[in-house]
Amino acid sequence: MELHILEHSLKVASIAKEGIQFFTHGLIKLAFLPSKTRTLSCSCWCKFFTLTETPEDYTIIVDEEGFKELPVSEFLSVAEATWLALNVVSGGGSSSSSQPIGVTKIAKSVIAPLADHNISVFMLSTYQTDFILVRERDLPLVMHTLSSEFTLLRVVNGEAVAANSLGVTNGFVKPKLVQRPVIHPLSSPSNMFCVTSLDPDTLPSVTTILMDVMFYSSGVKESAAPSDDLEYIRFFSFSLIEGYVSLVMDEETQKRFPLNMLFTSASGELWKMVRIGGQPLGFDECGIVAQISESLAAADIPAYYISTFKFDHALVPEENIQSVIGALRTNKGGGQ
Amino acid sequence: MSGSKPDILWSPHHVDRYVICDSELSLYRIESVGNSEAKAGALRLSEETTATLLAINSDTPYMKCVAWYPKHEPECLLAVGQANGRIVLTSLGQSHNSKCKDLMGKEFVPKHARQCNTLAWNPVDSNWLAAGLDKHRADFSVLIWDISSKFTPDASVTTDKIRLSAGDTDAGLVVTKPLYELGQNDACLSLCWLPRDQKLLLAGMHRNLAIFDLRNTSQKMFVNTKAIQGVTVDPHFHDRVASFFEGQVAIWDLRKFEKPVLTLTEQPKPLTKVAWCPTRTGLLATLTRDSNIIRLYDMQHTPTPIGDETEPTIIERNVQPCENHIASFAWHPSSQNRMVVVTPNRSMTDFTVFERISLAWSSTGSLMWACGRHLYECTEERNASSVEKDISTKMRQRAQSRYGHDTEQVWRNYLLAGGDDPQLKSLWYTLYFMKRYTEDLEQKPLVNKLPLVYSGIKNIVKSSSGTVESWCCWNGSDRQADVIRYHSDERCLALQLCGWIKRGPEIDVEPFLQSLEAEREWERAAAVALFNLDIRRSIQILNKGASAEKGDLNLNVVAMALSGYTDEKNSLWREMCSSLRLQLNNPHLCVMFAFLTSEPGSYDGVLYESSMAVRDRVAFACMFLSDSQLPRYIEKLASEMKEAGNLEGILLTGLTKDGVDLMESYVDRTGDVQTASFCMLKGSPGEVVKDSRVQCWIENYRNLLDAWRFWHKRAEFDIHRSKLDPSSKPLAQVFVSCNFCGKSISYSCSAMPHQGRGFSQYGVSGSPTKSKVTSCPGCRKPLPRCALCLMNMGTPVSSCPGAGKSDEKVDLSKDKKLAQLNNWFTWCHNCRHGGHTGHMLSWFRDHTECPVSACTCKCMQLDTTGNLVPLDTV
Repeated sequence: MELHILEHSLKVASIAKEGIQFFTHGLIKLAFLPSKTRTLSCSCWCKFFTLTETPEDYTIIVDEEGFKELPVSEFLSVAEATWLALNVVSGGGSSSSSQPIGVTKIAKSVIAPLADHNISVFMLSTYQTDFILVRERDLPLVMHTLSSEFTLLRVVNGEAVAANSLGVTNGFVKPKLVQRPVIHPLSSPSNMFCVTSLDPDTLPSVTTILMDVMFYSSGVKESAAPSDDLEYIRFFSFSLIEGYVSLVMDEETQKRFPLNMLFTSASGELWKMVRIGGQPLGFDECGIVAQISESLAAADIPAYYISTFKFDHALVPEENIQSVIGALRTNKGGGQ
Repeated sequence: MSGSKPDILWSPHHVDRYVICDSELSLYRIESVGNSEAKAGALRLSEETTATLLAINSDTPYMKCVAWYPKHEPECLLAVGQANGRIVLTSLGQSHNSKCKDLMGKEFVPKHARQCNTLAWNPVDSNWLAAGLDKHRADFSVLIWDISSKFTPDASVTTDKIRLSAGDTDAGLVVTKPLYELGQNDACLSLCWLPRDQKLLLAGMHRNLAIFDLRNTSQKMFVNTKAIQGVTVDPHFHDRVASFFEGQVAIWDLRKFEKPVLTLTEQPKPLTKVAWCPTRTGLLATLTRDSNIIRLYDMQHTPTPIGDETEPTIIERNVQPCENHIASFAWHPSSQNRMVVVTPNRSMTDFTVFERISLAWSSTGSLMWACGRHLYECTEERNASSVEKDISTKMRQRAQSRYGHDTEQVWRNYLLAGGDDPQLKSLWYTLYFMKRYTEDLEQKPLVNKLPLVYSGIKNIVKSSSGTVESWCCWNGSDRQADVIRYHSDERCLALQLCGWIKRGPEIDVEPFLQSLEAEREWERAAAVALFNLDIRRSIQILNKGASAEKGDLNLNVVAMALSGYTDEKNSLWREMCSSLRLQLNNPHLCVMFAFLTSEPGSYDGVLYESSMAVRDRVAFACMFLSDSQLPRYIEKLASEMKEAGNLEGILLTGLTKDGVDLMESYVDRTGDVQTASFCMLKGSPGEVVKDSRVQCWIENYRNLLDAWRFWHKRAEFDIHRSKLDPSSKPLAQVFVSCNFCGKSISYSCSAMPHQGRGFSQYGVSGSPTKSKVTSCPGCRKPLPRCALCLMNMGTPVSSCPGAGKSDEKVDLSKDKKLAQLNNWFTWCHNCRHGGHTGHMLSWFRDHTECPVSACTCKCMQLDTTGNLVPLDTV
């Protein structure tokens, strides 16, 4: 297995809902015209951009080139650290048991060891792959932790080159392997989601729909969605990472797109969400992803996991939602 | 594609069909103009070719890539990869035969939808179609489908979850289970099957090139690189692969897959297509975005003996098939260097890349050139004489007949040169007379007149002093002739150089006349006799000429006219002769009457008769011109000769700087560096040889000999040259030094006799001295062994220079017997192995590699001329 350390230096930011109008210009550029973010002084442009809308805020993950597009404003809060994205690439071609996809696949090999070493991670699943974001300052430790499992490769200028582990530990020579109880409260909204993508060439033809979905959700909600349903959650995620588009939207939103435009899997699967956290989770606590993903991995349930500024979100197949909730609830409280 | 940029695909089996694909597929047939003149709707592709649209297929939307079925049957089966990852089989312009029918419309659907980037049919097992897809977090990006497989619902996938349109499933046209799944959680941007094995697939993945082996799918070979687009195998060299990234092409050798064997110069715009030419080895065509130029890289591996590490020679060329930007191109599968290019607005051009022409001109004048697969030889259409007349041909022939090498009978060189050039005749006779004169001087120790002879008559007459004037009488009569003759030592020398008189004080032209008679030069002999005031002898010669075999009877008439000579100033004879003489064809006869009818002291009719030999005119001038007239005349004549580059003028200028000037204009006129080299070497005072022009001629002549592979002739020339010009002797270039003491083996030979004597004093026989041949004369340690016979080397000839001491003379004569070249040292300059020359030569007759085990040096091939045979085997 290979672990690629990508070259993007990422910022995680949150835009308050009421301030979104100040940012639309920059966000549209980042989402639809990334090559226009190129500046005169710098030949590179934004290659990593995600926008996730939750009921609380908009979470933006963007590389340094793209971050310049966002105006300084009271509505913008930025997590203090610079983050690096890790990406697991199955080096060998054979591990063909493709069923437990997504976070569960890497739960054991990446997320649990990082949690054991008290390294805080930020997860971002897309249609194409899973990114594990770690703080740049934690990188030596990350490399040390993962060097036994993975071939570490650092992406430099688009080319993967071998990265040497620096042999740094944080003092926990032998991390304690404890049962990780699920600490935070969970909720499961009623609406179902699909994770999809589209041909970047066809992006222009759905731009207006996407802009509508991204920035005018409140209006839509009032008119069309069953607002009376308290279990309903407003959640939409758009990402454009190295040319690949990934979208997470609920069933209702999906219907607004023209037929055949979105990539849907042959099985047309739908996903239900498990939302983690009652209070904003912050960035320092570690082990949250591990708590969830290890349980899912144990039950062999595929999942997507999307962290946002305030809360974490796991997507699991609709038919598994009850067993997932059950499993997580059992796990809650640790030793029970 | 997807409606924007058309691509072009050539049919793998029908050389006249191709498909243009953008939003739809269009099948064209290409024809030469003659066949389709009348046809409407034919598109002009070039001067000679047109294309006719045969069929259009617009059944498949969202096309991303297309691949043409590689086998003959079904004929026009295409696989189309779509934006959602589905692959559809379709066809063009086919009468739907049964074999094709059940394949048409068949779809291959990946588990998760994403763009299909590339398709590749397996060239051997043509049921296999490899598809490269974009990344999906949990799915594979390289799927290999079996197009003959039927739709089989996978038991593991619950049927109700498959939300396919109902129509597809019951027709059995949708396949969801690929044969192989490779490259999990990765993206595949380009694919090609490797011809090395039908189960090897090369894929350009997201950040690496990977070779998947379907015999063992758990293994893959990969290399991290950015250059992952457009992987394509060289059809002529199955281990060579090209791929690209943005503006840069990387060339890979699959045997050494760690890094590209070379990267081609980066182009400013991103590349869109890279393709090897199927009809010519090592030719790669590349196209960049928004360009009307196709850049060609011609990679030629010139076999060099020094290792295999050398990079291939790459020649870059740009071709511009049309004015507009090119969207795509495709090489013609069989027609040499031909391609069709298509522009974004679908206009097409048929274009043939013109092959570079390489030209070779041999030293013997034949001309050859190569273009493409053709080799042309130029043959002279004109009559062969023009080639024969060419100076290079002449020089070659003369070199073969050893022209210039006769140092005794110098004049014979003129015969060696073919004996038909009067200028050369004059030159060699002049040199002969000069040489003969100096030899005379050497016999009797005399004043230093040696340089004077070689400095030419011009300088000789200048130094003339003590001239005696005398009124002469007609020979055999007391009648006073009306002429004054001049005598001096210098004039006498000049006459000798002119060849009129032999050495010695007395002026006797009789031997000269006899030699002229022998050569049947009757008119000239008669003229010379007359100028020597022997009118009777002159008449006698003419009579002889008339009566000789094939003689000209008119000579009798001339003799008759001559006999009527009178010195009466106003006689009829005089009047008639002075006017009618101009009608005589022979210049000698003409000047005879000019002389007889001229006023004393003014002989312009003789002196300026340009068709008469210069030596005769000069000799005449030396006899009859006064001290004031003579130098002026000679001066004038000499500068004329110099101007014209006439070799007869060497008589006047001698081998002086003037002579070099004259020779320069001769060489300028004729290019005959051979004559110039030989002539100037004869100048015994070394001054002229040091002239840079002379050195230049000599070097050029040597180069010519080398170019003709007349190496023996060149060596002969060098020997000849070093005899005449000792300064040209080359210094020793190679020394064999002892491994142990570092002294030169030949050098320390001079010290040998001392030791040898030492031994003989103790009554030891000659054997120690003999054994020393194979040991260093300095430290007596053994010399290296021959790599073949393993005997210590050493050859007695190395003791030659400087060892000629009297007490060694006996040994030396013995040595000479032993001193064959076969025993000589020889070694390779590259690997430093060697041995006896004879052994080495016989080894390399059958081998190319060094005889030393484990040494892979291809010694003999290092010397490219070593295998050539000299053309002038002596």
